[in-house]
Amino acid sequence: MEILTAEGLSKTYAGSRGLVHALDHVDLDIPKGRLFGFLGRNGAGKTTFIKIASTLLLPTDGTISLFGEDVVRHPNRVRGRIAVVPQEGRPFYHLTPLEHVREYLIVRGASTETATSRAEEMVDAMGLRPYASEPSYRLSGGLQQRTLVAMILATQAEFLFLDEPTIGMDPFARRQVWEVIRQAVRAGSTVLLTTHYLDEAEQLTEELAVVEGGRILYRGTPDALKLRVGREVRLQFEGSVTREELEPFGEVYVDRERITVLTTRDRVPELTQLALGRRSPINVGPVTLEEAFLALVGRSIEEDSPIP
Amino acid sequence: MTYLGQARAALRICYFNGILPLWRQSTLMIAIFLTPVSFVFFLFVIAPRSVFAYGIVGGILFTALFTGNGMLNDCAYYRLERQLQQIFVASPVRSTTFVLGMALSELAFTIPAQALFLTLLWITRPFGWVALAGLLGVILLTWLMATTLGFMISTFYRQLREIWPVGTMVFSTLSVIPPVFYPIAAIPRSWQWAAFFAPSTFASQLAEHTVGLATASPTAAAALGDPTVQLLGLLGATALFGTAAAKLARWRER
Repeated sequence: MEILTAEGLSKTYAGSRGLVHALDHVDLDIPKGRLFGFLGRNGAGKTTFIKIASTLLLPTDGTISLFGEDVVRHPNRVRGRIAVVPQEGRPFYHLTPLEHVREYLIVRGASTETATSRAEEMVDAMGLRPYASEPSYRLSGGLQQRTLVAMILATQAEFLFLDEPTIGMDPFARRQVWEVIRQAVRAGSTVLLTTHYLDEAEQLTEELAVVEGGRILYRGTPDALKLRVGREVRLQFEGSVTREELEPFGEVYVDRERITVLTTRDRVPELTQLALGRRSPINVGPVTLEEAFLALVGRSIEEDSPIP
Repeated sequence: MTYLGQARAALRICYFNGILPLWRQSTLMIAIFLTPVSFVFFLFVIAPRSVFAYGIVGGILFTALFTGNGMLNDCAYYRLERQLQQIFVASPVRSTTFVLGMALSELAFTIPAQALFLTLLWITRPFGWVALAGLLGVILLTWLMATTLGFMISTFYRQLREIWPVGTMVFSTLSVIPPVFYPIAAIPRSWQWAAFFAPSTFASQLAEHTVGLATASPTAAAALGDPTVQLLGLLGATALFGTAAAKLARWRER
């Protein structure tokens, strides 16, 4: 059963170089209980979609419904059932992580007892116990982000919008957060997650959409996206080799200092010989979501969209 | 969420955004005191003693009016810099609840300053419980008017740097130019009516009337000298800014 349905959803802004289509007739539906990923470069339209779906922003055109309710016309009917981790959010200055979670739950209507016990559990689950009584201004950026995510996940809302929830966290903390997100889904929440970390999308999401220029280019599982590339192996060269030399072997992508070629297993010996001959460091591995993204969009996810 | 739940949410926002920070960083209190106390001190040094009480009333109203500036800056900071307004929009908390909670926290910040000014005023010009209730009423109406105005203005901007001068401009204009710190008698009677274009004049005249200080006696629009009209004026301005905030403030982005 679909819990979120968007049809022809568009958002147009007036940019310095004319109209900017942040979202361009996006159709999307997300079933209940799904951990759905939204992948795209900065400025691709992910945050705009999340802002509209979570009642923060009005679309220019199209419809969007959550729990069968029109988000644009009846935002108050859905607001009690959702929670959002905003992109680049920061917690309150003076509150400790424990207070953040407890106070936000109380403000949302939880009893003091429920809020307190859930805050204690969440602080433990997110690895915030050693910092539970430190005011947030004393915490690192990663810990502040964890605090914000803890506040939102503790709501146990039916639909959770997580806009780059693990940004600025160390790999260990990211894994802790992933586990709490998985628990939320097991407990019945539906999650829409945007991320820049392709390993996060690969590890966490059951299904994803790739967004570019305000449009959805792909929707499916991460594995199916990798299969679309049609190649099995990725070789990354760090300079010394030109695009022209690699093109006969498969698809070639140039990303800053690195040149990546996606190819088949039987071509690997020739390419390693080439790298050895040029004394070029080489990195060989199976095709990852990063290459799949690169192949689909034609650019790295790290590369920002042009400024409108 | 029920109305009771919304009221509880507003009080809770006041608790964690106003009372806790004040408790943990008491220097915030000094920041609130500093400007009005400087004005009052200045008046104490240079002006005749008869004007000092007006200066203290001015300090009370300046502090109440500047809750609007605090509201403007805090709401803008939370929305633009910390993205915290988003987590309240996407929640059962209504915009009025958030605004009330934020406004109450601004009020909490000013309680120590107001207690100081009220004590000073009582020492300078002793007043009874009824006058105290009247003064508190004026403070609350002024606070309500200023904070709704502050919130509304905060929602119009997309850059924090654009907002900083706006608040100082608006709230200084409301509290320094009109007869808030000085007696309205300093303005010729034939021009006193013009001072009532600033809603803060209604508040200052009411407060001064409450403690028995000489108030406006304009030759034109003489009704403006009547405390009932002044109360209606203050209520009207508060209702006007409240309605404007409800209609124009952007809780949801466009």
